[in-house]
Amino acid sequence: MSRLLIFLLCTSLFLACKFENPEERLKPQIVVTTSILADGIRNLVGDAADVVALMPAGVDPHLYKASARDLDLLLEADIVLYHGLFLEGKMTEIFEKLSLRKDLINVSENIPTELLLRSGPEAHSVDPHIWFDVKLWSMAMDHAAAELILINPTWETIISANSKSYQAQLAELDQATKLKITELSKSNQALITAHDAFAYFGKAYGIEVLGLQGLSTLSEPGLRDLTGLIKFIVQRDIKAVFAEQTISPKAIQAVVAGCESQNHQIKLAGPLYTDSLGDPEGEAGTYIGMVHTNVSVIFQSLIQ
Amino acid sequence: MSFDQNAFLIIITAAMIAISCGLLGVFMMLRKMSMTGDAISHAVLPGIVIGFFVSGSQRGLEVIIGAGILGILATLMIDWLRRKARVQLDASIGITFTLLFAIGIILINLLAYKVDLDQECVLYGEIAYLPIDLWLTKSGLNMGPRILYLSLLNLILVTAFIILFFKELKVTSFDENFSKVIGIPAGLINLSLMSMVSYTTVSSFEAVGAILVVALLVVPPATAFLWTRKLKLLIQLTIVLGIGISIVGYYLAYLFDSSIAGMIVSVAGIAFLASALFKSKSFLSRFGTSRQPESLKKIV
Repeated sequence: MSRLLIFLLCTSLFLACKFENPEERLKPQIVVTTSILADGIRNLVGDAADVVALMPAGVDPHLYKASARDLDLLLEADIVLYHGLFLEGKMTEIFEKLSLRKDLINVSENIPTELLLRSGPEAHSVDPHIWFDVKLWSMAMDHAAAELILINPTWETIISANSKSYQAQLAELDQATKLKITELSKSNQALITAHDAFAYFGKAYGIEVLGLQGLSTLSEPGLRDLTGLIKFIVQRDIKAVFAEQTISPKAIQAVVAGCESQNHQIKLAGPLYTDSLGDPEGEAGTYIGMVHTNVSVIFQSLIQ
Repeated sequence: MSFDQNAFLIIITAAMIAISCGLLGVFMMLRKMSMTGDAISHAVLPGIVIGFFVSGSQRGLEVIIGAGILGILATLMIDWLRRKARVQLDASIGITFTLLFAIGIILINLLAYKVDLDQECVLYGEIAYLPIDLWLTKSGLNMGPRILYLSLLNLILVTAFIILFFKELKVTSFDENFSKVIGIPAGLINLSLMSMVSYTTVSSFEAVGAILVVALLVVPPATAFLWTRKLKLLIQLTIVLGIGISIVGYYLAYLFDSSIAGMIVSVAGIAFLASALFKSKSFLSRFGTSRQPESLKKIV
């Protein structure tokens, strides 16, 4: 039996060989974590590099499970970008270690701490959903552009030109969002969603935001949260609550049912895009498209 | 063809964890406590929350220690319920882990509502990223993959424990009363086995994630049990199975570009089903005819 054991160990050593991929890459490869980040970086580098996301569109970063070749993707990448602010969970630690042998960019590292929302004094109690504030996200993109140029100076002309026009588009998006949302908050509406992802959105565009669930997808809504929320909806005559793309709508449906039992008709709108972009061919396949879609859904549902 | 160091690292670590879990799993199975690993995977939650509040960080060592303490506490509670409250063993496992998990959820709701905190993002590791999760010393020296050391240490401790206490473990697993008669402290042996299981599961959760650990504790011993009833052979077969499924699982995962842990568990499950089908005749005759009358005789 022990001979068999040694044999198995030896075969595993031998088997740890793979056929090498003969195809050569024509362009440098940039690997990023989320689909939202991938879209931003694609806008910056244009045709100069291939951008690959570890978490494809439609995947909740909380539920991301690495597949066997993700490691190869990371190790073969020329540049790796990650979101930071603990969005990648336990992987953040690993990314920091990857900086030993890779060019690594944490896109959120330059955002001033006073602009970040945090729930407690702990280092990791910061809310990572900065892309809901277009201004903060454009800061992150600006930082990414600067770092990319540092890593590969030959890209300077391409990236600075792309970055300039992308920043202009983002500024326009920010203005358009502000215009619509201000109108909503004038009519005393609030944004009610399944989990607490929209805090930056509320702060940046001046609308009250309530989430049914905490930041962790594990924490379930408490009973007091539910009754308190229903009371709030009836008092303020809120027109709609919103489901989210990557989260089961069950809990938020309970809010709708609860309101109906109080004779308050409310619409279940959405689903809004939160932690991931939509189908790449669709409207919400880009970051700008996603924000546009979200804002128009929120506006249409709450304005009547 | 070229030697892929990362593939080798992943396979060798998975095999080491499979051996540690399999060795303990054999004795857990004989004691009908196979699901303790699953219970521990849930019961660690309050330890994580408390560890988080002690350290103020999701990555602190306190979180791992908190998880480990809760793991031991859970096994103690299971044992206590079984002995003192005279509850069925499976029920005592169910009561313990649901209670501790529920306490963890309440603690999150009360204390950490605004923090992304659960076992998934704090404790469970990802085997695919093991080769880049390096151990860096204070002086910045690169010592290689961190998990490799942790699982090697774990394997050495588990193997030493099994070899040193083999006789005691064997006797207490089969007949607790007899072991007391011949002077073996069954309670102490039981407690040390449970602590070993708790340490192994928490250490391996951190390395490769929960589902793989729970499966490795249960499936290889159960598969080996279909082929033999001799304890030594059972242990050897479990070890071989553990190594085999790690190798096959990794390559299938690579082939289909899917989760490594998921694929290893699937391969283990298929190996068990195949064994069960192959052995179904003798399986049925053993459980269907010869076994039951024996146990009935005892009662009569």
